[in-house]
Amino acid sequence: MSHFNRRAFIKAAIAAAPASACLTLPGTARAGRKAAVVVVGGGFGGATAAKYLKLMDPALDVTLVERQKTYTSCPLSNEVISGHGRIEDLQAGYDGLKKRGVNVIFDDATGIDAARKTVSLKGGKTLNYDALVLSPGIDFNYAGVAGYSEELANTSHPHAWKAGPQTLALKKKLEGMQDGQTFVLTVPPGPFRCPPGPYERASQVASYFKHHGLNKSKVIIADANDSFSKKGLFEQAWKLQYPGMIEWIAGAAGGKVVKFDARTNTASSDFNDFKGDVVNVIPPHHAGAIARNAGLTNDKGWCPVDMLTMESTIQKDIWVVGDACVHGDLPVYAAPKSAHSAATQAKVAAGAIIAKLNGLPAPEPFFVNTCYSITAPDWGFSVVHIYRVQGGKLVYIKEAGGISPVNIEDPAQLRLQRKLESEYATGWLKNIMADAFA
Amino acid sequence: MIARYPLLLAAGLALAGSLAHAGPTDDLARTCNGCHGLNGVSAGPNMPSIGGLPETYLKNLLLQWKKGERYAATMDRHVKGYSDDELAALAAYFSKLPWVPVVQKADDKTLAAGKAATERCETCHGATGGEPDDAETPRLNGQWAGYMELELLKYRTEAANMPHKKMRNNARKLDEADVGQAARYYAAQPK
Repeated sequence: MSHFNRRAFIKAAIAAAPASACLTLPGTARAGRKAAVVVVGGGFGGATAAKYLKLMDPALDVTLVERQKTYTSCPLSNEVISGHGRIEDLQAGYDGLKKRGVNVIFDDATGIDAARKTVSLKGGKTLNYDALVLSPGIDFNYAGVAGYSEELANTSHPHAWKAGPQTLALKKKLEGMQDGQTFVLTVPPGPFRCPPGPYERASQVASYFKHHGLNKSKVIIADANDSFSKKGLFEQAWKLQYPGMIEWIAGAAGGKVVKFDARTNTASSDFNDFKGDVVNVIPPHHAGAIARNAGLTNDKGWCPVDMLTMESTIQKDIWVVGDACVHGDLPVYAAPKSAHSAATQAKVAAGAIIAKLNGLPAPEPFFVNTCYSITAPDWGFSVVHIYRVQGGKLVYIKEAGGISPVNIEDPAQLRLQRKLESEYATGWLKNIMADAFA
Repeated sequence: MIARYPLLLAAGLALAGSLAHAGPTDDLARTCNGCHGLNGVSAGPNMPSIGGLPETYLKNLLLQWKKGERYAATMDRHVKGYSDDELAALAAYFSKLPWVPVVQKADDKTLAAGKAATERCETCHGATGGEPDDAETPRLNGQWAGYMELELLKYRTEAANMPHKKMRNNARKLDEADVGQAARYYAAQPK
């Protein structure tokens, strides 16, 4: 029913567009060939883009390139580390997209030739595109923490900042901890994937301690930044649930970790050494390698895009969505690097691509983010962001959005608010996964 | 007259339908799918399906949240981003989609207890939740049990001060143990 009807779309767009647009309507079929859209990266951004491209214009030839046959959601993966969730509940395959007519290729996209409009794959294939969606997520800059490395991450010291085997490896390390031992978590300079993630992880580790009688154990958060997402909500929860157990050290107080010694399990800033029994280094990150290699990133390592369409401002006919891009009402209200941001960016990109392939102006974009965090069973909260076009510019709508109320006078009302959002977190995951993969 | 041109009429309606589905409301409604599912059919377990709910009911909720007249944990922060007209258009859009019950099986004991507990709900929602008596009342058959349980919790919490007096009173009359059974009873109904 909501299947997007292309003819209707074109008609509606013509009705809305200036008269001149009617004269340049090439149609999606180019000389008898269906327009081809290639999507690189099958996470929340890429999977949602592929699905909605096909839904909105079934005539498109949509190909998704993804390395892994099973996707594991980062959202709610901290709950797997603490034992409150199961990793199986965070996983999805690509059969749903195949059933919708998306060609899924399990391969590694190794290069983009923007002049020839091709993507080359490790397996030897070359794919032609009329439009390319890049949703490569993040890669890590291991050099940002001297002494830490990809090898350490895959063996003794998982960062677990991409959900999967490292999530389970970190869970195992936590399960080996004794009472009185210390878990050190280091937070890279922003922007990073999932702004509230580190503080949620600290909460989940504390929750594990509390439930397993490790009452003298501590979590130390060594942070490169001077504030963090939903700070008031986290601090309120920590005071109530884990008094004295979680210590946060701001960047200005010497929290910015720049080196790591795996032998002594010590992470160090220029001022402090943080020695832990388990040290979880989250290295700084940047856009996925393919975006960097294709020259689509700025000097900070992220992909600049047209805020209204998600098309790269560096290379036309390439749309970048998800964690790899810089988006929002900059410089003040950047869109967080979250699954929900990626999904709405993907839907906007799909609409903009179909419009462009038909020689039409892009439809008005709507961007939403909802991001839930759980600190303990029955205790959750959220932040909401809404971005809309006003006067031709994308703006953060201040009248809407924001974090859950922190201070609620009536204790029953406070409990209700936190319980509802802890439950909604799992409902949100179930739905956003289905919206991308089913 | 109408009977003489059934094809024309049908074609006209279909065209109007397509055009109505291809404008800003489609683009906006697509953002709702992230939590409420494609075509407003939620994947569960505590996010409500919204496709096919009565237009007046949906519009009331959206506008009451926006004006701060109805408690919501999260939705109030969403609706404030849109004009009253846009919210009304969303209500109309989702109400026109078919109601797709997601039948969640329950054992006989739960069903019997749920049936008994929901006697007081019948007048407004119908015996199985599928036949609400007016446009301001939602369907409950095949709605997600987890969601309905949380809604009842809202109505039962005095401080939440939910707006509908009759619903508030009836929700509070339920025994604690009956809340989940009432929710699972409706969730199990196909019609």
